[in-house]
Amino acid sequence: MTTAADGILRQITEIVARELAVPAESLAADTDLRAIEGADSVRLLRVVARAEQTWDIELDDEDVFTVSSVEQLATVVREALQVRAA
Amino acid sequence: MTAPELPWAVLADYRCFGCSPHNPHGIALEFDEHPAGLQTTFDLGRSYESYPGVVHGGLLGVVCDETMGNLIVVRTGLVAFTVSMRLRYLAPVATGRSYTCVARLGAGTDAGSPLISATAEIVDADGVPVATASATYRNVPFGTARDRITLTNPDADRLHQALSTTPALSTTPDGPVPVEETL
Repeated sequence: MTTAADGILRQITEIVARELAVPAESLAADTDLRAIEGADSVRLLRVVARAEQTWDIELDDEDVFTVSSVEQLATVVREALQVRAA
Repeated sequence: MTAPELPWAVLADYRCFGCSPHNPHGIALEFDEHPAGLQTTFDLGRSYESYPGVVHGGLLGVVCDETMGNLIVVRTGLVAFTVSMRLRYLAPVATGRSYTCVARLGAGTDAGSPLISATAEIVDADGVPVATASATYRNVPFGTARDRITLTNPDADRLHQALSTTPALSTTPDGPVPVEETL
């Protein structure tokens, strides 16, 4: 994993922690987003919206509703950044 | 917070559904400067609902489009036509409650390009986001816009004058982004 990719995972972790009001230290790359205490569809959409604002990207709805972990969300963000840069 | 001078205000009878105070069927948005761009606070009643008690999502598109579009107009002094807009709905927006939409100019606009991007976010009274939007606009010089909108000659002259004197902050340090007349 590159440093930039590490940075995306770290920022995603911080966004998830902030929007779901949980400590960032409690989250791992494979943490199931829907299993986090307090997580619901509205809060998870806010995570997605914050990610889109942070990187000025638009994620596909298909991805938004199928990602299940912090790492998977970081992956779709990386892919969106690659598409934008292409 | 100061209210920017919208050039449309010189038209005594302009009927913009989003921002005219003269349209009884419109939502008469009023705008204020915001540190990041432009903002409007709105409270839509049941005439604008979809499901009972929920503001129609299309109206939220109007609010975002109005806020982003007018931000571009007051920053560039040019008419801006919406090219595309995408909304993400995060939570239902309730009728009869106050929300605020904040629009920001997008990053990465190429100098000289007629295309300019913007984003908007609608938050509730507690600052919690309920919808986001991103859009692309096409800046059009008045001569071109004049052919595409319906104006009397005196109104056209007034609007042209108002746009010319809009205190454009622009997205470039050198003033309004130059746009070719042949769009």
